[in-house]
Amino acid sequence: MRAHLALATAAAWLTVGCAPERPVNTTVVIPTGVLATSSVPTLTRGRSQNTRLAELMFLRLAELSPALVTAGDDGFVPALAQSWERRDSVTLAFQIDSRAKWHDGIPVTAADVVFTFERARDPAINAELATVLSSIAEVSAEGDGTVVFRFDRSFPEQLYTATYHVQPLPAHLLAHLPPDSIAGSPYMEAPVGNGPYRFDQRVPGQRLTLLANEDFFLGRPGIERVVFLLAGDADARLNLLLSGEVDVLQSVAAVDVPRIEAEPSLRVIAMPGYTVGYLLFNQRDPADLNQPHPILADRRVRRAIIHALDRKAMVRAVYHDYAEVPQGPVALPHWIRDTTKSGVSYDPAQAKTLLRQAGWRENANGWQRDGEPLTLSLNYPTTSRGRSQFAQLIQEQLRQVGITLELVGLDGPIWFERRGQRNFDIDFSAAGMDPSPSGMQQSWTCAAIGGSNVGNYCNPAVDSLLALAIYGKGDGLATWQAALETIEYDAPAAFIYSPPAIFGVNRRLGNVELVPYGYWLDLWRWTVRDGAAPDATD
Amino acid sequence: MSRWLLGRTVQAGGTFVVAVVLMFFVMRLSPGDPLARVVGERQVSEAEYRQLQERFGLDQPLATQFRAFVSGIVRGDLGTSISLAPASVNSLIKARLPASILLGGTVLLINFTIGILLGVWQAVHRGERLDRWLSIVSLTGYALPSFWLGLVLAWIFGVHWHILPPAGMNSPTMAPDAPWLTRAVDVLRHLILPAATLSIVTIAATIRYQRTAMIDALGQEYVRSARAKGLSIREVVWRHAWRNALFPVLTLFGLWLPLFVTGSVFVEAVFGWPGLGALTADAIGGRDYPLIMGTSILVSASVVAGTWFSDVLHMLLDPRVRLG
Amino acid sequence: MITRTEASFHHWRRSGGWFGVVVLLGMITVALLGPLVLQDPVAQPDIVGGAQPPSLAHPFGTDELSRDVLSRVVSGARISLAIAALAVMLALLLGATVGLVAGYWGGWVDAVLMRLVDGALAIPRLFLLLLLVTMWDHLTIVPFVLVIGATGWFGTSRLVRAEVLRIKSEPFIQAAQALGARRRRIVWRHLLPNAAGPLLVAATLGVGNVILLEAGLSFLGVGGVRPPTPSWGRMIFEGKTVLATAPWASIFPGVAIVVTVLAVNLIGEALRDRLDPKNA
Repeated sequence: MRAHLALATAAAWLTVGCAPERPVNTTVVIPTGVLATSSVPTLTRGRSQNTRLAELMFLRLAELSPALVTAGDDGFVPALAQSWERRDSVTLAFQIDSRAKWHDGIPVTAADVVFTFERARDPAINAELATVLSSIAEVSAEGDGTVVFRFDRSFPEQLYTATYHVQPLPAHLLAHLPPDSIAGSPYMEAPVGNGPYRFDQRVPGQRLTLLANEDFFLGRPGIERVVFLLAGDADARLNLLLSGEVDVLQSVAAVDVPRIEAEPSLRVIAMPGYTVGYLLFNQRDPADLNQPHPILADRRVRRAIIHALDRKAMVRAVYHDYAEVPQGPVALPHWIRDTTKSGVSYDPAQAKTLLRQAGWRENANGWQRDGEPLTLSLNYPTTSRGRSQFAQLIQEQLRQVGITLELVGLDGPIWFERRGQRNFDIDFSAAGMDPSPSGMQQSWTCAAIGGSNVGNYCNPAVDSLLALAIYGKGDGLATWQAALETIEYDAPAAFIYSPPAIFGVNRRLGNVELVPYGYWLDLWRWTVRDGAAPDATD
Repeated sequence: MSRWLLGRTVQAGGTFVVAVVLMFFVMRLSPGDPLARVVGERQVSEAEYRQLQERFGLDQPLATQFRAFVSGIVRGDLGTSISLAPASVNSLIKARLPASILLGGTVLLINFTIGILLGVWQAVHRGERLDRWLSIVSLTGYALPSFWLGLVLAWIFGVHWHILPPAGMNSPTMAPDAPWLTRAVDVLRHLILPAATLSIVTIAATIRYQRTAMIDALGQEYVRSARAKGLSIREVVWRHAWRNALFPVLTLFGLWLPLFVTGSVFVEAVFGWPGLGALTADAIGGRDYPLIMGTSILVSASVVAGTWFSDVLHMLLDPRVRLG
Repeated sequence: MITRTEASFHHWRRSGGWFGVVVLLGMITVALLGPLVLQDPVAQPDIVGGAQPPSLAHPFGTDELSRDVLSRVVSGARISLAIAALAVMLALLLGATVGLVAGYWGGWVDAVLMRLVDGALAIPRLFLLLLLVTMWDHLTIVPFVLVIGATGWFGTSRLVRAEVLRIKSEPFIQAAQALGARRRRIVWRHLLPNAAGPLLVAATLGVGNVILLEAGLSFLGVGGVRPPTPSWGRMIFEGKTVLATAPWASIFPGVAIVVTVLAVNLIGEALRDRLDPKNA
């Protein structure tokens, strides 16, 4: 009996009595599925997780203002650069903030910027980045405080091009290293930045910690410590938030929102994300890429498939009221989005009409043409929960009009490999995009066939509209929208969803602002409200 | 005796080598690009791709790769992880091993205390109603999918009732300079749910093994004579029979050694426990050849060592084995 | 006075074996006949409505895509039981063949085969399956069954080999051989009745094992069952994200797994006890 009592007491002590009281410190804990292995931008290729982390430690010259307009010089706010001036239509000069210092105390100079752009524009280091920066003709320093960008032509997104893609790095620590040895250098293990947070430590497989840069020249961060906690499983991450062990959860599924809202200590923040999910139609035969696709080369069939999909209902099923059906490859926060157009309608009858026009005949087993059945396969990565769910919805809706869709769920790497090899009928892609729409050139132009345009869509009219929009005068809004309309008509893809980024946030955090293109950019302005958390009282 | 031991040890070594060779070829001959995860969802130039291949030796013929791999094992160097470069496989395994040993050790401890007690009790009371019910209960535990049980427990205790942490191994807000007792209690609290899950789904094996051994022991001559001498059943069980029935169960210990190393892929995944099981699942998902080989080698080594250990123990305790 | 048959029947009934048989037969019947009367397991009548709790129309509720969970559990029984049965049969076939060959020929054939089996046994089956299933491109159900079967025969082959060796050394065999009977025929004639018992036990326990393995692989997202076909593991995998808001979507397939695996394990245990009654 006594033993039982002792056991019971021990259990109570373990479970309730000793629940660690959250010390009133200013730590924010963020769970993540993948722990960044390197948090230095630009010099090596990295994943988005690295970018997000880098944004806490490294400043851009300027940041986008909340309107997120990338064209012109007006939509930007100072960051590392205190100000900038336009000298002529191809020259921009930035004044580095004289208070800016690297975490080791050395002042940030124009030489750092020049050094970083030298590396960033080297195709041998990062070919993709070099392509994006190819319109920059020269970057030069004028003294310590001024850096001058010269472009090879006049176009609306010059300021964006000079600021968005590259965060300056410390030349005094890196310039002596040959480019190919940086990846393995000690600097990568303990990077020195200039942002509101400095690198503290990384425990592989567990966590990565950043500490506030108390001398940050734009102001003292309100939160002392930021911990990125590795929790590979999405449900485990949600449970950590619900039980109060972590403070901010990113990529919350819409279906979990009510659970977070039911918790008095938590709140939900949803904002538009820069992602578009779409079914990419292969217009060439995957068996022989020199031949047109036997079924999908016909625009009528592609449009029929889109007509057969109730995209609005699907988006509501997966994302509830948080997402929308995109018009073309444009995400919700993109400034060129045209909210007046409704795109290809949900109209199964029209789908069947189009199929008949394309020479297909319907019988009890579905559609046939010259004895061939209308059977297509859809490749998607099983690692994506949202796409797996959409895939099943799409399969069922196409079945309703008699089209057989075979679902080919692939492990992430294999899915990606096949996509690159153009080895698919329909590919369920999800593009994470930059705030600038000019990336469309890399995926939807004739010139990009063989590169990122793996669906082999080619319409010269779209090519010239996009070129005009990117390199023409003014912001080119009307031209952008004309290009989008043409793409919608040609139906190179069925654009399915533009999802929100949903966050669950503990209410003990105050002043929480999240930035659509760099979630944690404003984290240093957050605060912790002492004792305000309802869960601190129980 | 020493010849037997030597032969048995050589055999174990041979088994290990065969296992490693089998794994190497099963893995290398299957499709899937190990560089895909490094490359991510981006376009990579041919030159860059070749450079990466070179760096990880993937451009070499299979035989050369195998030779490099074998010489690495001999040197105790399992190579560099592909998906988590520049971390070495040795360092990744070293970082994850303590968590797995903690979880596996706890589960073994539970199984070998509660499991043995229940097994003995059931053997003594065999055929009674409670014995049958206990059998069904432990078999039900055995029939539970561990991930499903883990999900349910994490949800009930971690989220619904808020009394135990639902995932992880440390409280993330714990200050690094907290007193060791506070930290130990914190780890212990995180340990309860995964350890309970793993014990529930495995304990049936120990119980049934012990029950069988005990029934066997109770049927032996000396037990019957002890009973005849007037000793109570309790005395017979705990003084005599139990000790004899414990030996076969000890050999079970060896067979469970791998649990130390792997924990459970599922339980670690559900509870975000930072052990080797979760590392292996990640490595396989990312086609990280060196890392997969590293963990597999470790697991196979522990299987072989465990079997060896249990055979040797068996022989020491039961000399009849030598004859067989 | 109780006869031997009565005693073993009595014991069989008490050990839960009968319970296992009844449950398993019931499960098989429902799996075969259920789909004839139940709703279409892939239809999605109301995708915007989301998962609905159990009701008269949907006794087990509906899942996130508004599909009827009861129909899916029943269709899933077909898939899960079929996979398990086929994979175990394949494993038995492979194991028996290898065991026979090794035991009958002996010598270097035996040595090579058994060293390979030892090596394969030193790799945990889950690891081996994960290696095969995730590495191999896109698995359809047939190769999936083949892979599961092909990783499950190592133990069986040792069992059969031991039996062959035992029979070979029996005095009556040697006597029969001395009388001029052909050894191959003798081994063959005596092997089956002797090995049948242990093989049956191994097979039954193997079925439970495979059901759990299939569920586990599906849970890790690497199973061989393609949507929209339901398997129990896939259902738990798909339902786990809504466990808190729609527990029925993953609880019912989980219960189906537990009940089925328990049933086959009880049968296996009862069979084993019958072969070796002293444990009962």
